[in-house]
Formats: sequence, structure tokens, C-alpha cells
Amino acid sequence: MSRNVKLGILGLAAILLLYPLLFSGAFALNVGSAVLLAAISASAWNIVGGYAGQISVGHGMFFGVGAYLPLLIYQITGLPPLAGVPVGIALSIILAIIIGLPAFRLRGHYFSMATIAVAELIRIFTGTWEYVGAAIGLQGPAVGRGWWDLTFRDETPYYYIFLGVLAVVLYVTYELQRSRFGSYLRAIKSDERAASSLGVSVRMTKLKALVLSAIFTSIAGSLYSIKTGFVDPESGFGILVSVQMVIIAALGGAGSLFGPLVGAIILVSLQTATNTWFGGGGSGLTYILYGGIIVLIARYEPGGLYEYWQRISPRLWRSRRAA
Amino acid sequence: MLLLQVIVGGLLLGAIYALFSSGLTLIWGMMNFINFAHGEFVMLGMYVALLTVTYLGGGPVLFSLSAAVTLYGIGIIIYLTLIRHVMKGPMLAQILSTFGLALLLRYAAFWIFSANVVSLPQTTLSGIVDVGGILMPMSQLVAGVVAIVLTVGLHLLLTRTNIGSRLLAVAEDRNAAMLMGIRPDRMQALAWGLAAGSAGIAGALMAISYPFSPSVGETFGLTAFVAVTLGGFGSVPGALYAGLIIGLIQALSAYWLGAIYKDIVVYAMFAALLWLRPQGLMGKAS
Amino acid sequence: MLLEAKNVSRQFGAFFAVRDASLSIAQGEIVGLIGPNGAGKSTFFNCLAGDMPPSAGQVIFDGQDVTFAPPETHALAGIGRTFQLPATFEDMTVLENVMVGAYLRHPHRNAARDRAMEVLEITELKDLAMQRARTLGTPGRKRLEIARVLATSPRLMFLDEALAGLTPSEVQRAIGLVRRIHGMGITLVIVEHIMEVIMALTERVIVFNQGRVIAQGKPADVVKDTQVIEAYLGSGRRKRRA
Repeated sequence: MSRNVKLGILGLAAILLLYPLLFSGAFALNVGSAVLLAAISASAWNIVGGYAGQISVGHGMFFGVGAYLPLLIYQITGLPPLAGVPVGIALSIILAIIIGLPAFRLRGHYFSMATIAVAELIRIFTGTWEYVGAAIGLQGPAVGRGWWDLTFRDETPYYYIFLGVLAVVLYVTYELQRSRFGSYLRAIKSDERAASSLGVSVRMTKLKALVLSAIFTSIAGSLYSIKTGFVDPESGFGILVSVQMVIIAALGGAGSLFGPLVGAIILVSLQTATNTWFGGGGSGLTYILYGGIIVLIARYEPGGLYEYWQRISPRLWRSRRAA
Repeated sequence: MLLLQVIVGGLLLGAIYALFSSGLTLIWGMMNFINFAHGEFVMLGMYVALLTVTYLGGGPVLFSLSAAVTLYGIGIIIYLTLIRHVMKGPMLAQILSTFGLALLLRYAAFWIFSANVVSLPQTTLSGIVDVGGILMPMSQLVAGVVAIVLTVGLHLLLTRTNIGSRLLAVAEDRNAAMLMGIRPDRMQALAWGLAAGSAGIAGALMAISYPFSPSVGETFGLTAFVAVTLGGFGSVPGALYAGLIIGLIQALSAYWLGAIYKDIVVYAMFAALLWLRPQGLMGKAS
Repeated sequence: MLLEAKNVSRQFGAFFAVRDASLSIAQGEIVGLIGPNGAGKSTFFNCLAGDMPPSAGQVIFDGQDVTFAPPETHALAGIGRTFQLPATFEDMTVLENVMVGAYLRHPHRNAARDRAMEVLEITELKDLAMQRARTLGTPGRKRLEIARVLATSPRLMFLDEALAGLTPSEVQRAIGLVRRIHGMGITLVIVEHIMEVIMALTERVIVFNQGRVIAQGKPADVVKDTQVIEAYLGSGRRKRRA
């Protein structure tokens, strides 16, 4: 890493750490934790979608499982929702293996189709299954019985929990990027046939990436439902949950370490702005905006802002030096 | 007798599925490209029909043609402004392009037409016909038959005409087609026009009998995927059989299990198919 | 024998791309595989390298049956290959490309990096190490493919038209590289169109036509074989004119 990049990362970390002190209003904190949560799930998607190039458009299935399990465990046993997090992770791993084993025979568009179909199947099924609250969904403890229920009236603790998890996800991604595993993922993304001729076990490597990605996505889902104390089929498994991860990662730069975080900062701010300007009716507009942004990225800058930056930054340095 | 009626009803709806699915399969066969916005084309066809009836009046013939022509134009514009460019790009760009388009169209429709369920005003196609003891609404009967005729027509266009052989030549080998003086870009634009046009007219035909809202596109898009997977990627006759089979299975599962299960059954079929036979039931193994 | 293929066939529908082809390659040889376009060389190659399972027959590498093993098992056993159309990892740097190969025997980053640098030195790509593969021209890509395979420390390397599309001076440089690789004790099988290359490099030539081995022997003898002249040189002449 160059010195400039290191300084940039330190600066970003400092801003994220100090954000609650700088903007103490509940609204600003809410936006802050929404950015972090979006960054966590998009970074998780990035492992399999960005690095390995397997475009899942159904990652909502892992998010949803992670979101449902804490509240389900709470409703059934009365245990704190936190107890459901590992169960959600375990289920997500199983789901990832069930999907990955056969679906990784499928390439490109086929894989995307398969992931949408499974996510939609689970969403519709959840909506009809009384045991998990059918269309109404599930609720967490209304009033916390102790700190372990993680129901804080203040936003600040959530903000720092999310920040901590994001740091872990990014650290794992960073290590992955520099390891044999990360190198293999990028090789697979580029050319599966060449990768396997060099000794890469393509299907196994993809499966590992999907499992890792599913684990973090599931954790993101759990954080979401524990914080809001509520989940229904749409907010857990809905297609827009999946889409949001893809668009955030693609906007910032799929396959880059900080792309999803940058994408989350931009997209969530934009979403908040449209919702504030247009009131409740703004949500429809948000999705029109999503669609428009996705189309524009695909058409003009498929590498996202990261690729754009890579292209223009050498020119910037040069012009500065010349000046 | 009721069961027989359910079966015929399912097949008639399945015929319309076949029509819009054949558009999706045409694009796939031509350029190995899945259009995630295909269901939204069907939805747009429905609203074009509604707008035509509201502002121009006229009967089913007029609004079906209007939906077909409008969507044909939209398909070509989308190809020229978007698809042509992302085809050369990475996989992510290809998938995102039509995915974003689907969101854009779906929520623009919400914005413009609201989420309310609407239906076309009663047309001349009202009334019930009795075919050998099976009671069928006239509108469904006509729509189903027209859909089958159009799907077969599309197949004949592809296999029996000069323009069809040029289309298939591009699908077979782009470079060889270019050497033969065919311009692949034009042929692919035509394919997108035909695909969107068939989706548009299918939407209009369905709108005659069924109420709709902007969210229907998602379900139709997935239904078309199922049909294309089942029938074999790129095969119009395959899409026809698959469309009919899906319509039938949906009708039967709604009849036996209850209406909420009809979509679950379709999605589950899709997932199972992708697992077991990714190349499609009637498609060739590659 | 290092590699033995016994009666390998590969069918596509009713069409035999390879029919009953047998071949044995001893440790330390350089063997040329030649034949006109569409003779089935590439298919045979793919069967031997594990890219495509044969419909019938057997492939044995160093006593191990690898007939139906996936490509990664071939790589692990010590069989490397390049592709006819360079399949470099476009968005990765030259060094990163070679490290993918190096990771096979060196799981740790630093070791893999050292191995990759070593290979870049041998293949004279060191100066380009930090460039993305997409910025290279054809000669660079072909060289990078060879480097990537070399980094897996193979015992046997298949080169699929690794010299096609190069200018005469680049060909000379590439021949030098192939000789160096052979000097490292690596057995080589070369598919090549350019007869000069085959004559300069190989000790033994196998001629393929219509999916069969029609002749083999010393290059100088093989080019005198009438069957070969008919099958290969005849179409070669036609090709040159086209």
C-alpha cells in the first residue's frame, strides 16, 4: 500500500470513529448506522460477487435467515435474540452449500437466475408459513431485559457495534485479498478454464467464497433485526435487499476492498435525501433512482468508482506535479 | 367437469406464458444474454393497452396492436442505447444492465400508475362460451388461441423466412454472418424488438381477462425464466410446450393446494430444474 | 514412460475428433505434434491435459491413471499446459498472474512471490511484473502463459501454438526460452504450425490427421513421408496462399 492510501484509510477510520461525536442527533446517527449496515452486507456480497465474479442477485436469502433466526429463537425460547445469531450463521452455511454445490456448475447469467429463484422461493414460502409469522413477520423484545438483549434507546451503541463488525469484515477481506485464496478467486473470475489448468479447484474455491460471504451476510441480517426489533418477508428476503448489496458494491467498485463502503456512503445518503425531500412517497423514487444508477454503472463504468479513480488518479498526480 | 375446466383454463393462460417466454428464449439463443426486464415488458404491454383504451378507445385488436408496436420500439431503443454497449463489457455489467432496467421500469410504473390493481373496461370479448360442456370466458379463449397462433408464427418466422435465417445465422456464428453480408447489430436489434413486442402483445392479451398492477412484471419475468429453462435455452417450440405445462401446473396446484401455492410451485420447479438439468428439458446438452 | 496415452478417442455425436490415438513420451523428450487444421490435435491435447475427458482410452502419467481426472489434478501431478488463444488473467498484474501458478506448490504469499519472481526472471518478463496483463501484446501474453505454467513446477509441459502469431525475431527469442525450459529437465510436447520451429526444436514428431496418428519419427524423416506430405504439407501450402 502506498503512503497516500494508508493516510486515506486512517482518515476514513478517524471520521467513522468520531462521527457520533461530530453529529450527535438521532437522525444523523441513524443514517450513520444505516451506512455501516449497508457497507457490511455489501462487503460480504463483494467476496463472492466482486472477487470471485459470481453475481448473486439472491443474497437476501442469507440476510433474511440471519434476520429471522434471532427473533425466532427469542419468540420460541425467550432467550436473548443474540443467541439466534450463530443459529442463523449455521443455517446460512447450510443454505450456501446447498445452493453452491449444484449452482456453481452454472455460469454467468444462469447462476444469477438460480440465486434469484431460490431467494424468491424462500420469501414466498416464509410469507405463507405461520410458524415464522407468515406475512406479518416476527418481533423482538419490546423492552430490553438487560444489555444482552441489545435494545438500546440510544443509537450510539448500535453505531459502534456495526463499526466493529464492518472492521472485522474488511480485515478478513484484506487478508483474503493478499492470500492464495484471494488470488484464486480473481483468477476464477477472469478465466475458469485457465485457473483450473494451473491447479485451482474451481468449484471448491467458489463454494468456500460463497460460504464466507453467506456468514457475513447472515450477521448483517441479524444486526438489522436485533436493532429494529422486527422482520417480515419483504425486509428480510425481499428482492430489494439483494439488489441493494449488488448496487452498493458495484457503485463503489466490485472486487475492491473499500468499494462497498464508499458505495454505501453515497447510496444511503442519496436514499435518505430522497426520502426526506419527497416524504413517504419517496421510497418509490428511491428505487427508480436505484434502477437508473445501476443502468448507468453498467453502461458507463462497470468497474464502479474504484475503477474510475484508478483511471483518473495518475492523471491528477501528474497535473499536480506539473503545476 | 370442473377439473377439466381448470385444465383448459390453465392451458389458455399457459399459451400466453408461451408467447412472452418465446421472446426471452429468442434473446438467449441469439446472444447468450438473459433479459431480467422481460417481465416488465409484459407489464408495460398491459399499461399500454390500458392507455390506448382510455385515450383512443377501440377494441382488443387496436390495443393489442398498439402494445405490440410500442414495445417493439422500446425493445429496439433499449438494444441500441444500452444492450449493444454492455455486451462487450464484463459479466457484471451485462447482468446489472437489464436488472437495473427492470427496477427502473417497475418503479417508474408505480410512480406513474400507482400500486393500485386495475383492469381494462369490459370489451366486446365478454360472455361465456360453452365448448362441449366446458364453460370458458370468451376473452380467455380468444387470448389463448391468439397467443398460440402468434408463438407458432414467431417460430415460422425464424425457421421459414429469409429474415429468420439471417437472425439464426447471427446466433450461430456472428463472424461468419458478417462475412455473408449480414449486419449482426441490426439483426440483434430486430431480435430485441420481436422479443419485447411479443411480451407487449402477451401483456395486452392477458390484460383483457386479468386485473394487474406494476408488480406483476416480477412474477412474469420469473415465469418466463422457468419456461425458457424447461423448454431449452433458445428454443421457441420448447418455450411453447413449457409455457403450456407451466400454465397447467399452476392451475392444478391452485385448484388442489390453494391459490397461494401456485407461485411457490413454479419457483420450486425452476430451482429443481436448474439443479437437475441446467441445459433444459428439451434442450441439447452442451 | 512419463506419459502414455492408450487408444484415446473423443466423439462429438457421431463424429470422431480423435480416434484410437496412442502416444508415449519419455522423460526429457521434446516431441512435436503436427497436422493440418481440424486434424484433432487440440482435442487430443485437451484430452491429455484433462480439459476434456476422452470417450474411450486411457491416459497414464508417471504410473498414475489421470484419464478422467479434472485439470487441477493434472496440474498437481505435474502436467502443465498453455492455451492456443492466450487465457491470461486480464485484470491482474503479470506478477499476480504468475503467482496463481506459483501458489500450487507454495501456499504462502511470500514463497509464492519469490517463486514467481524467479520465473519472471527466466522468462524475461521481470520488467513488466507490475503491469496488468491486458496491457501486453501477443508475444507478451504467450510468454506470460508459459511463465504461469512454469511457476507450477511441472514435469511435463504442453505448449499449444505458443509461437503462433509471433514475428521471426520473436520466434527466435521464444525458441531460446523453450530450449531453456527443456534444459531445466522439463519434458515438452509442442503443437505447432511453423515447420521451422518443429525442425529446430524437436527430436521426434507425431503427425496427426483426421483424428489419427498417421506417422511418427525424426522430423527429417517425417517430412519425407508421402502420407504426411499429402495430409499436412498439402494443406499447409494452401493455407499459406490464403
